[in-house]
Amino acid sequence: MKTLTDLKKIREKAQEEMKLRGSNTRIKIVVGMGTSGIAMGAREVMKTFLEEIASRNLTDVLVTQTGEKGLSSMEPVVDVVEDDKPKVTYGNMTPDKVKKVIVEHIVNGRIVSDYVVATGN
Amino acid sequence: MQDISLHLLDIIENSVRAEADLIKIRIISDTQDNLLRLIIEDNGCGMDSRTLDEAQNPFFTSKSDRVKKVGLGIPLFKQNAELSDGAFNMTSEPGFGTVLRADFALNHIDRMPLGNLKDTLLGSIVGHPEVDFDINLIYKDHGVEQSFHFDTAAIKEELGDIPLTYPDVIEYIDQSLNEGIQNTNMEDV
Repeated sequence: MKTLTDLKKIREKAQEEMKLRGSNTRIKIVVGMGTSGIAMGAREVMKTFLEEIASRNLTDVLVTQTGEKGLSSMEPVVDVVEDDKPKVTYGNMTPDKVKKVIVEHIVNGRIVSDYVVATGN
Repeated sequence: MQDISLHLLDIIENSVRAEADLIKIRIISDTQDNLLRLIIEDNGCGMDSRTLDEAQNPFFTSKSDRVKKVGLGIPLFKQNAELSDGAFNMTSEPGFGTVLRADFALNHIDRMPLGNLKDTLLGSIVGHPEVDFDINLIYKDHGVEQSFHFDTAAIKEELGDIPLTYPDVIEYIDQSLNEGIQNTNMEDV
């Protein structure tokens, strides 16, 4: 059974890490979770991002959910937002595509242009 | 939507868009009463009675900035509840929030499965760090009762400035939810 004591240990570990490398969020990932996105598999896309972040120990990546953005025909849609860089929007995402975006874009900084449906704001 | 927890996810997103910062979710599975009940309560901006009526109509959406004027989320949820001998009810008050209740006959042949509740809750909790989730899962079977309570406010307090997307925190929430869902027999409902 998980208890709040477990959380305390996590907090201490995380604070140690942050002392070493700072607490900056490098990349923000936003998963579109409107009705059409959900119907097209956005929940599995979200879950895969969270799994990859946990298993690769990516401590400087933030993932959030948001509502519809008017790209219904390309759902599930995912935005990758980095400081000082134009926003990259990926469309028709699947768990497999998420894994590729994690390796190529999030970890190695190379945009996966095959999946991009829009860039900039 | 293929399962009930996808509808739940859709409703959670509605609550977030209504600027709720507390969403209470209660799921009750009662074998004796043959009932699967979901209650979702938020403290968002709420709706007046006209909007509340319209929200149950497929050709209404509050997403005014978009071209496509359809909102299928709530009507589909309602239809799916009613198709399985259930009921659907929504009440709301502007400035106070909205309460939605969906009932399903547990053993009805047309009832959709509850589906992957864990992924729905995990994504919503981590994906909306500004919102607190108070989750209660209750399983009742002829006098035997198992329940699971999960309150993200307590977790956030314990974590301080550590974000919910911190890898170990994701795993913590994932495992806690998993245990709770298993203990209340909600993984295969």
